[in-house]
Amino acid sequence: MLANYLPILIFVIVAAGLGVVLLGIGFVLGRGQKDQEKLSAYECGFEAFEDTRNRFDVRYYLVAILFILFDLELAFFVPWAVSLDAVGLFGIGAMGVFLALLVVGFIYEWKKGALEWD
Amino acid sequence: MVTTVLFYAFAAILLVAALGVITARNPVHSVLFLVFAFLQSAVLWLLLEAEFLAITLVVVYVGAVMVLFLFVVMMLNINVEELRSGFTRYLPLGIGVALVVVIEIANVIWFRSEGQAFVTPTPHAADYSNTKELGGVLYTEHVFALEIAAMLLLLAIVAAITLTMRTRHRPGLKVQDVPAQVAVRAEDRIRVVKVGPVKE
Repeated sequence: MLANYLPILIFVIVAAGLGVVLLGIGFVLGRGQKDQEKLSAYECGFEAFEDTRNRFDVRYYLVAILFILFDLELAFFVPWAVSLDAVGLFGIGAMGVFLALLVVGFIYEWKKGALEWD
Repeated sequence: MVTTVLFYAFAAILLVAALGVITARNPVHSVLFLVFAFLQSAVLWLLLEAEFLAITLVVVYVGAVMVLFLFVVMMLNINVEELRSGFTRYLPLGIGVALVVVIEIANVIWFRSEGQAFVTPTPHAADYSNTKELGGVLYTEHVFALEIAAMLLLLAIVAAITLTMRTRHRPGLKVQDVPAQVAVRAEDRIRVVKVGPVKE
């Protein structure tokens, strides 16, 4: 079975090798004349306003967490779709209950306005 | 044979990446090392012919959880100096926890498995689908665990929303009215003015 993944292994090796070679060429042949202006933070031509680490609105996290939850839900769907002929009607029913529970969460999220930005 | 070489190669990279997580000075670099470690563990799952777990590790952990980690690390104001100041104070506790974990792992690997021969699993045929095997038992035999997982996800949705939602409808707050924006017609917005010829 693992022989199926040989192309991916070759791809990974080529990609890693290419990355090392390209960076190495730049490192070896680059003249590297560094000065303070070249190494300073670049922010579209003006002086940087503040530090990179500043606090963001909590709503970004909410969007990310909701994304992870529905991502996990999707991860449960993949084996189900692949083995649909093996699990039969019982499997479809089981997934129906699973989905119904998550739809409750989805409706709650929608009605609560968590998907709205304002 | 080839699998053994690959296992040791990827396991070595995994160890280096895991060391990088705890030694990197920049927290963002730590998170990126952790992403790298997860990718290597996905390869280890793959070498055990657990395709679905490998893919899930990449999709869920690398794709979603670590992005959230990166979010948190980049947005929180982490003062490295302040974190390092407690190093000697927490050192005994850290060593204690590390010792307990090492003893537990040693217990499982050496003492519990004493006298049991190590069995190399026989490789599966090329058309073997781990995902299909997993699905075959997950939705029939372990259906109760599946519904508990759904319950947990529902709980997490509700908890995340309750903890972070703030209603922002203060009086006088200007918000977009999306249906009104969509329904707008050209006549409402622009007025075509006929300009007569202008004499110089």
